[in-house]
Amino acid sequence: MARDKIYMEEIFPSPFMQLWQIFRKTPVAMTGFSCFIFLIILAIFAPILAPYSPVDGQLNMLLLPPAWHEDGNVSFLLGTDELGRDMLSRLMYGTSLTFGMSFIVVILSLVIGVVIGSLSALTSGLKSSFLNHFLDVILSIPSLLLAIIIVAILGPGISNTVWAVVIVLIPQFIHITRYAVKEESRKDYVLASRLDGASPFRVLYYSIFPNIVDRIMGQATLAQSAAILDIATLGFLGLGAQIPLPEWGAILANGLDLFYIAPWTVYLPGLAILFAVVATNLVGEGIRHALKLRKDR
Amino acid sequence: MLIFTIRRLNLFIFTMLVLTLLSFSLSFLFPGDSIINITGAINATPYQLEKIQQSYQTDSNIFWQYIAYLQHIIHGDLGISMSSQSDIGSEVLNLLPATIELSLVALLIAMFIGVPLGFIAAIKHNKTADNLILSISMIGYSIPVFWLGILAILTFSINLGWLPSAGQISLLFEIKHITGIQFIDILLSDSPYKWQAFSDATSHIILPACVIAVAPATIFIRLARTSMIEVLETSYIRAANAKGLTFQQIIFRHAIRNALIKIIRHVGLQFANLVTIAMVTEVIFSWPGIGRWLIESIYQRDYTAIQSGLLVLSCFIFTIHILTDFIYAALNPLARGNKYGS
Repeated sequence: MARDKIYMEEIFPSPFMQLWQIFRKTPVAMTGFSCFIFLIILAIFAPILAPYSPVDGQLNMLLLPPAWHEDGNVSFLLGTDELGRDMLSRLMYGTSLTFGMSFIVVILSLVIGVVIGSLSALTSGLKSSFLNHFLDVILSIPSLLLAIIIVAILGPGISNTVWAVVIVLIPQFIHITRYAVKEESRKDYVLASRLDGASPFRVLYYSIFPNIVDRIMGQATLAQSAAILDIATLGFLGLGAQIPLPEWGAILANGLDLFYIAPWTVYLPGLAILFAVVATNLVGEGIRHALKLRKDR
Repeated sequence: MLIFTIRRLNLFIFTMLVLTLLSFSLSFLFPGDSIINITGAINATPYQLEKIQQSYQTDSNIFWQYIAYLQHIIHGDLGISMSSQSDIGSEVLNLLPATIELSLVALLIAMFIGVPLGFIAAIKHNKTADNLILSISMIGYSIPVFWLGILAILTFSINLGWLPSAGQISLLFEIKHITGIQFIDILLSDSPYKWQAFSDATSHIILPACVIAVAPATIFIRLARTSMIEVLETSYIRAANAKGLTFQQIIFRHAIRNALIKIIRHVGLQFANLVTIAMVTEVIFSWPGIGRWLIESIYQRDYTAIQSGLLVLSCFIFTIHILTDFIYAALNPLARGNKYGS
């Protein structure tokens, strides 16, 4: 039976999918994104992929330079440190500590921040004004300073670093969610759904969230690059990860005494941090660029 | 302007109250007895302790304790350091100027490099120069500051031997502590080696200041670029263009002034960021500032010092914040409205 009329199906991709379609077409952002995925895979599978243990050293292989150096050894691709620990394995394990931890930190603070932010967007009046002022004060204190203070209260250590950075990042998410929700709820489609009798939470969940998820993602990448730098800086200052842990900042601080004899113990962890932060920032730039293009369209 | 001032003062007082409240509550959050955390009097005899407890009103409720704490702060009594038993107030006054000096120099370097580069990028929008400047700025704000500091020491102090790597001035020069800001002290002193001391202090400050300046400079690049792009799209620039002004005249007479105003607004916020970076850099370059002192007191678990150092540092940052707001409002009448005063 022949059909006379063919209706073309119209697809309206969700705002998030629209964003992805623009994002996919920017090569720089995709490079950053693949580096990001690579780091996540490395962070999860580091114990399987790493050739040596990050903590036990080979005492006959002290301070071996990287393999491309004439004194290097191919079985220790990036050289060893002063206790004969393989740098490559340490950096791989460090990925799950520095990068993986920053990822978890961002997700934790994102969830808490978005919940508080959207709840506060529903309130108004004195409470809201107080929160606004309070957020202004907290946001005017730099994140690293706040993290250092929280670590000072909780005491040094890697789990305390995680909590400190989570607490530091929450206000930013509250701020952006609050702002985005308030902006969206003035629009007509939200009014329409409210006229249909939807409860505030239903409006929030089904109408507003799909439209602000991209902005929150953009903030999340900013937060993650700050989180990586904060965790590494705390590790470097000796307030974060403690000595045997292969956290990138801590490895760098560890190599500091020897950096004239063994410069690779300082170069390599620094490069790893730089790589992770640049990859995260490229993804963030890509998202912001795509957001701008979508808005202009 | 009067209403603006009142609104700002209101915000200032509110923030100071929140900050002191925060620092007051820290004494309960830190391990140990709260009264000892506030005063740092670990070696006090029972009689002294009783006197201290009386002056901080520990037996009345928490509100009066807070008021008593506020009174002590207003009188400049920040307690004594737990580890060295010296007065924290005077110690902070000795150290803060060094940090102010370092951060101001870094801020100037960041602005003088960042802002013109940002303008160039905006004028060459979407061309090679723009992309190049943007990629450099991306790397600039991704680089961890402690790593950059170490690399700078390795290249410029050890391999090339151009600049000293630690301290504020060579120990050979004896400069009396008057204002605490090294350059002013040198100029005020009557030493016969004044100019040698001055050039020595300059060579000491270049490396740390440049390291601190990198991240804020990249942010200034972005700020300058976006504000210049915005200005170039406005109708008064188009009008100037239609009148037949040359491109240079438009940029120097009309565009730069209006773009600069928007940047000044962000200087306060960037300054906060800069002070944090300066704290880490002070540790690397052994700069005798408040950041290094604060981090060292964390190592020593000197809770009184942490609490007071935090209070002083955040008050300092917020004061700068309010000051730049005032400068911005004085320069730009548009900002005095309600919009930014809330």
